[in-house]
Amino acid sequence: MGFTRREFLGACLGGAALGVSALLLRRYIRRRWHEKTFIARVSDYQADIAAVILAGLRELGISPEEIRGRRVLLKPNLVESKAKYFHINTHPLVVRGAAEAFLKMGASRVLVAEGPGHCQDTLRVFVESGLFEVLREDKIPFIDLNYQDGYLLPNAGKYSRLSTLTFPVTLKEVDLIVSLAKLKTHHLAGVTLSLKNMFGVMPGIYYGWPKNLLHFQGIAASILDINLTLRPYLGIVDGIVGMEGDGPIMGDPKPAGVLVLGRNLTAVDATCARLMKIDPYRIEYLNQAQDRLGPVNEASIIQAGEPISALATEFKLLNQIPAQKGLRA
Amino acid sequence: MSDPLISGAIEALKKKSLREGGFANGDQGNYRTDATAWAILALTAGGAEPELVHLGRQRLAASQLPDGRVCISPEHPEVCWPTALAILAWHKSPAHQAALSRASQFLLNSSGIVYDPTAKGLDEHNPSLKGWPWVAGTYSWIDPTALGIIALKATGQGSQPRVLEARDMIMDRQCLHGGWNYGNRLVYGAELRPMPENTGLALDALAGLTPKANLEASLNYLQSRVQGLRTPLALAFSLLGLGAWGERPAAAPSWLAECWQLGDQFGGYDTTAIALFILASSLSGGLGSIFGQESYPPPG
Repeated sequence: MGFTRREFLGACLGGAALGVSALLLRRYIRRRWHEKTFIARVSDYQADIAAVILAGLRELGISPEEIRGRRVLLKPNLVESKAKYFHINTHPLVVRGAAEAFLKMGASRVLVAEGPGHCQDTLRVFVESGLFEVLREDKIPFIDLNYQDGYLLPNAGKYSRLSTLTFPVTLKEVDLIVSLAKLKTHHLAGVTLSLKNMFGVMPGIYYGWPKNLLHFQGIAASILDINLTLRPYLGIVDGIVGMEGDGPIMGDPKPAGVLVLGRNLTAVDATCARLMKIDPYRIEYLNQAQDRLGPVNEASIIQAGEPISALATEFKLLNQIPAQKGLRA
Repeated sequence: MSDPLISGAIEALKKKSLREGGFANGDQGNYRTDATAWAILALTAGGAEPELVHLGRQRLAASQLPDGRVCISPEHPEVCWPTALAILAWHKSPAHQAALSRASQFLLNSSGIVYDPTAKGLDEHNPSLKGWPWVAGTYSWIDPTALGIIALKATGQGSQPRVLEARDMIMDRQCLHGGWNYGNRLVYGAELRPMPENTGLALDALAGLTPKANLEASLNYLQSRVQGLRTPLALAFSLLGLGAWGERPAAAPSWLAECWQLGDQFGGYDTTAIALFILASSLSGGLGSIFGQESYPPPG
């Protein structure tokens, strides 16, 4: 079976037209997609963080009617613990503030859940990070996601070769998932913010410690797949004291005095990157996220609260870490 | 069982057993191979519930794939790390020697991915040394490798070349100032911190395979770190690792009692945690001492 010259040229033109259409559609989506983030100045952890988060939720148009009666899962970033190293994990008082805010908004239940990527004894990190003491006082339950039975969902992203993703059963029992992340640099992903934080919901018993199966599939691809499949409701990033340099565990504390909130986690992370004086387009997973997860373009992100320029501060990047090279805005 | 704490823990463990055999990890959970194997080991160490042990072993045998591996669930054939636990669970059971043999062969014939040692990566360890992975087709890490060694040692295969290479892999990943974490000692030149649970399991695996002098820093790290641990996994793995070298701290019973009392504040412990609590409470040595293998005299 052969092609005539006319048929061949026709097929080429058709293919080119499809390619151009896809490109135009992508540009159209990027231009039309607008999201809002809220930036709050919070100088230290003694501030009324619940009040700040409530103000942020109002600014984002989240009403009590939207929260009332819903079960909310807060997913902090608990990686490792070391006494007084409060720049590694989401600060316990930020978790407390978020829990209080959602309960005041009428949530029927708030729980905190995490599956640390490095430590097999989740309860040890829970205790040593200071979170146990705070949640015990507040009577908020904590769930270890690393050892839970899993359920499979088709991989909605298909950026990686994984056909399905396995999530812990607790995620089926909640209505809203909030990524409660930390503002940090990362030695493999460039930065770790609200999208990367969702790695922690993947159970260690299925993905290993560290979650090597996901690393093997590509960190950027896995971040996109998890978030496209799970679609978290809200991102909150604790940048009151963040981490610069060799994040996510060995870096230095970086007081940035900021909390960032948004319904769209890509917009939240792009805003956070700008606050760190990092170009979000140079973060692989953010650059790819703009087609399907949310906007990265500054003009497409409506900034409520403080302007980026008022709080942006340079987070140290290290030359010897390839993922941090050339990220500076 | 005279120790009321162990009796209480065994009662808690029995509540996680399933009518059709085996154990769930959490309340109202599904059958899990890892939880079942840990529960069998704990009940064996505690000398309790032979019928549950038998049913659990049967269920594990029914879960074994034709190539010998035992996976975390039928939907995850690649997640093969429970194979080593199954070997331990079947050990000394005459009815399960064929299953044990197939699982041992699977371990001996499989490994984590290795690559050219001249191309040392960001983590600066020797990537050509074979250990075992959590998930087939990915790299080797400390815990599945240590469990593999412990299983093969317990079943009399401790001098197999694969065991000795796995020992070398663990030694290669020892943190510069002692101890282990999940399996990286350096990343981009930065020294990573050790963690007690990985250190305990690694020490348990290395007992009898390496001179104690190579491990002084790690033993010292763990002796110091264990003092403040009251959560079951970290405390149990630490005590088992120190016990394997005859260095179990005298205060261990009081720490274990505190650990058990904390359980309610965490909303209760899962099967893995309860089983490890029983093992650390019942054994004065490492995991091998379930089968009468006490601390090993270091060679050389």
